[in-house]
Amino acid sequence: MFGRHSIPFRLEDSGISIETRRNEKFTIYERISPYERVEKRLGFTEGFLTINPVEPVNLPQEITGAVEFHFTPIAVMPLSEVEVFLTFPVETGVFSGTGDNFTLIDVFSLAQPKYSLYGSPERGIITRHVETGVSNDVPTVNPLEEGVLSLRIRNAGRDWVWVSRAVFESSSLRIFYGPHAAMSAEMVVYSRLLGETWVSKTPPAKGMQEALRVYQTRRSLIPEKPSYLMEYGVGD
Amino acid sequence: MVFDSLSSPIIGTVTPLDILVFGIAVLVTVIIARIVAIYLKKALGDRVDPTELDKLVKVIQAVIVIIGVYAALPSFDIQLADMLVVGGTLGLVAAFASQRIVSNLGSGLFVIAERPMKPGDNVAIGSVSGTVEQIQVLSTIIKTYEGVYVRVPNEKVFNSEIINYVANVARRFEYTIGISYGSDAEAAIRIIESLLKAHPFVLAHPAPSVFVEELADSSVKIRVFIWAPSRVWWSVRTEMLWEIKKALDEAGIEIPFPQRVVTIAEGARVEVAHAPAEEGDR
Repeated sequence: MFGRHSIPFRLEDSGISIETRRNEKFTIYERISPYERVEKRLGFTEGFLTINPVEPVNLPQEITGAVEFHFTPIAVMPLSEVEVFLTFPVETGVFSGTGDNFTLIDVFSLAQPKYSLYGSPERGIITRHVETGVSNDVPTVNPLEEGVLSLRIRNAGRDWVWVSRAVFESSSLRIFYGPHAAMSAEMVVYSRLLGETWVSKTPPAKGMQEALRVYQTRRSLIPEKPSYLMEYGVGD
Repeated sequence: MVFDSLSSPIIGTVTPLDILVFGIAVLVTVIIARIVAIYLKKALGDRVDPTELDKLVKVIQAVIVIIGVYAALPSFDIQLADMLVVGGTLGLVAAFASQRIVSNLGSGLFVIAERPMKPGDNVAIGSVSGTVEQIQVLSTIIKTYEGVYVRVPNEKVFNSEIINYVANVARRFEYTIGISYGSDAEAAIRIIESLLKAHPFVLAHPAPSVFVEELADSSVKIRVFIWAPSRVWWSVRTEMLWEIKKALDEAGIEIPFPQRVVTIAEGARVEVAHAPAEEGDR
């Protein structure tokens, strides 16, 4: 389903169908999901729509700009690093437009959204909660439901640290897609209470294409944060 | 003739012409400030948070007006040092003449500096509850939940208890649900927990808590504690309560009315005495 599709088109996958039909003045966009039907009128009849995975913070409504991964605790030796593969929920965005000027038409997901609090109610942040398993290799996933995050964890401190959480700023998420959605990220752990995360801007594997981001459609003047400082701990 | 009258001093060396020139200069400055504001709102409207944009526009407008007034002052032939002396004296006079206004102004500055709330927050200030629209120097504007405009003087804001419902990113709310003694409380807890787990905005951490709190007269009281993002807590609260009611009904778990069981001892007789009917009733 991911990729660029010339109007008119019809796609069907994992119980989701997307169809665009032309009439005299408009293109009718229709998406049917298990519990939802969306119909929109687009003010053009020629062109294409781009469908790709987007930052998983839009559904059921956008209330946060952070994604928090929760996983089985991993013990990391001082001054060492490990690489693990996690999964993240895929939200699929449908975009219209070219170059830097594009807009979001629709966003949907097969994953059940859940939110959480990282830190305290007074000073913490609301996060999109992702409960994930930990794999040594790239796990098999349903592309419309889950993506794969390769996370390199480096312990820069002098003590052993148990790591079971990784929080990322959604504006920094760079999702690539091919057979499935993927990201690669790094996490430097300074202590049990402090870590820093960032997402790589290079594709995790050859042939993967960078996804359009919902964040870009907002044209925010606030600069993107290149990394996120985890001040409320890296473990449970 | 007209020009002569315009050029003749009326206060010290200040002539009506000076006042006219000053007025036109200030007017032009205000018009420029408004044009700049419109341009900024058009250019940045979809890129900057509306409340932040509002602040930015006001600051830029104030700077333009101050520059305009400063540029127009030479038409009065007034030195800035003189202005400060005159302004200071006038300020003192005004302060004594209008203590209430000065009190509101001072309170407003403290409220702005302390920042117990910001535009868009849901608050209760004394007896007024609603959404903060604007925090001005003299007053704070609240839009109540019924959509009514309320202007609260800052002196009152400063001296009142302020409850800000959304100052923290998450907040807790709770329900007490009574089920009948004949119903399975463990099953009810499982049902409620599964509903909480499925709702996206019932926060995973801090986790919700469901437990039997009290064996009350008419029901077993189950207590539910839920944390939700402050931005959406009210909708979560209203949705979840009804979801819980429906799910318990579907599972055949009864939510009883207050009731009292009366046991009559074996062999006891109940006599009901009837009052004799009145004449008119016959």
